Amino acid sequence: MSMQPILKIDLTTGQTEEYRVPEKWEKDFLGGASLAARMLYSTLTRDLDPLSPEAPLLFLTGPMTGTSGPTTGRFVICGKGPATGLWAESNIGGFWGPELRMTGHDGLWITGKASEPVYLWLDGNQLEVRSAAHLWGQDTYATQEAVKEAVGEKSARVCVIGPAGERQVLFASIMCDHGRMAGRTCMGAVMGSKNLKAVAVHGTQEIPVFDLAQYKLLRSESNRKLREDNEAKVLREVGTAGAANYSEYLGGLPAKYYTQGSFPNIDEVSGAKMTDTILVGRSACQGCVIACGRVVKLPKDLAKRKGPEHETMVGFGANLLNENLESIVDLGELCDQYGMDTISTSNTIGLAFHLFEKEIVTLADTGGTILRWGDVDVIKQLIHMIGKREGIGDLLAMGSRKFAAHFGVEEEAVQVNGLEVAYHDPRGVSGMALSYATSPRGACHNQSDYFFVDWGHSHEEVGIEFIERHAQAEKAANVARHQDWRTVDNAIVMCIFANVETEEKVKLINAACGLNWSMADLMKFGERSWNLRRAINNRMGLTRANDKLPKALLEPFPDGGSAGFVPDIQGMLAAYYQHRGWDPETGKPSHAKLLELDLEDVAQDLWG
Amino acid sequence: MPAIFPSEEWLEGLEEKLNSDARYAEIARNWEGDLLFLIEPAGNLKELLTFYLDLWHGTCRKVDFNPRPEKYPKPVFTLTASYDNIAAILSGKLNPMTAMMTSKLKVKGSLGYMMRNVPTVLDFVRVAQEVTTEIF
Repeated sequence: MSMQPILKIDLTTGQTEEYRVPEKWEKDFLGGASLAARMLYSTLTRDLDPLSPEAPLLFLTGPMTGTSGPTTGRFVICGKGPATGLWAESNIGGFWGPELRMTGHDGLWITGKASEPVYLWLDGNQLEVRSAAHLWGQDTYATQEAVKEAVGEKSARVCVIGPAGERQVLFASIMCDHGRMAGRTCMGAVMGSKNLKAVAVHGTQEIPVFDLAQYKLLRSESNRKLREDNEAKVLREVGTAGAANYSEYLGGLPAKYYTQGSFPNIDEVSGAKMTDTILVGRSACQGCVIACGRVVKLPKDLAKRKGPEHETMVGFGANLLNENLESIVDLGELCDQYGMDTISTSNTIGLAFHLFEKEIVTLADTGGTILRWGDVDVIKQLIHMIGKREGIGDLLAMGSRKFAAHFGVEEEAVQVNGLEVAYHDPRGVSGMALSYATSPRGACHNQSDYFFVDWGHSHEEVGIEFIERHAQAEKAANVARHQDWRTVDNAIVMCIFANVETEEKVKLINAACGLNWSMADLMKFGERSWNLRRAINNRMGLTRANDKLPKALLEPFPDGGSAGFVPDIQGMLAAYYQHRGWDPETGKPSHAKLLELDLEDVAQDLWG
Repeated sequence: MPAIFPSEEWLEGLEEKLNSDARYAEIARNWEGDLLFLIEPAGNLKELLTFYLDLWHGTCRKVDFNPRPEKYPKPVFTLTASYDNIAAILSGKLNPMTAMMTSKLKVKGSLGYMMRNVPTVLDFVRVAQEVTTEIF
């Protein structure tokens, strides 16, 4: 193993310390979200206020971050979720993670709270805490530029929050490298609660790889195959929103806040339309050969902008019955400027529209604004109000669960455990029912992007078969295996869009880390990490009652690709629990399962 | 006319069916693009086999059985797969989307166009399955 130290920074005292990860943890949890869970296990308690100085904010890379392996420019940001009260992790690309590793550190473990707004400047081994008073209130793009200029290092990389993070909007995000976003689980508000506006890094060290010669051969072959891969070609050509049409055809694309079974004009707000009309370039994270990022130009000016990915496209498109592609670019950019997750923002706005239509939210609540589906000006107005926490925006800034609860209709919010559901409807792709209900961070589509399997992308080599998209409990074990398998990517940290064969992945990990894993070892690793995060959540109060789907997703549509179908979530959960070896009464991993996964201390904590 | 795959009769039967199937005509009404299939030797197939189909607005304008690939230098799509995988798709054992997503069926051409027209692709496969009585 070849891990570099983690830099611990206490913003209250200004003290720093180099932390060495125990070798066993390094081997058993590798990096990324898995290792973060192991490192934060004892810190994340039920009583911990995620916005308090004591709460941790951990920026952590993986053993392949920055190694130019297939799509390995990524890192994670972890802590306790302010909106969920559960384990929080957010995965982000760009160049910041690789740059951090070049400083000689594999992570930053931040606690405390600065007495005034600050930013961190880590240049190699030299850390400075600098005043950010003049940056407070600035948007994410302006802040990145200002910090880069202030540190005087052109190749510095900067992570920032926007005004939403400062004001602790409960879906505030962290951005780096122009428009790369750690959107989910509100790590931006945690950063804001610490008076931390930005973290700039610059380094020149070689990134350690255990067997570099072997790794170079493997990564070269992997990247070559990835360039030729069909999925990679789709992503390069039409972006992640390129599958919108297929998703809509299957009834997996939410429309009108999950209440409409089809969206006939999907062609107008799709990745293909973007390619045909406003696309002028593509962008990639460090070392990525796919380049799914979109660069667009709108007719209104000559500026190059970030084009929407799938979630933003659907969230501000079909979800709000908006068929204007150019407006979606603007709305996504506005969220980015404030530093807000586009999934949660668009979902929560969709909820407001839905409740307005049901006359639960009234003109008195909105300050006289009519919330009309597809009204771009109103959507824009609401984003501003959320970012500034003004008027109804202050309520919306609490997220959909609290917004709905304020009006006495919590069940109307399409969320799980406080995290808004992403834009893959389990009525069209049933595996997503379990993905959402059992994800460790709320309704997440990245812990198990099972929609890909339901679309047809199987991984037989590790037992993940293609099972008919409307199958029920019979696919529970398949979903669990997919979660375990995907957990590996969030540890090393590899983008979920890289279609790298599992056998190749094992070889890359072995070369990078000096391990001798088999595919079975890889799957056991994933299972261990999945159960560890489950245990963290159990310790923070999560029970079986938390594993559920919102009401809207259990109501059938009369038409569309999912007509008449709803997932049998209880049946699926029963089969899932049995496969997982989880206790059906408490929702905890069984004592035997934890021992089987070498989590003895966790077994002791959970079961005595 | 249903026939044994692979054969010239099978390809002609596919052409006939594509031009008489109302469902295909409706779903594929916007499709514009010719296909060159390169079927690589595997199992019972000992040498490369090719099919050419010119598909246009829900009809099939032309087929060509086992042409030299150079005869059609710029088809909109070139689809390459092993004989075993093509046979598995035709017999319903391999989902065509699985074949594409796992690169068992390699696609040269606009994947974006393909993704936008998945219903057409799936219905084309349905028609091909329906004209297949037996796989050699």
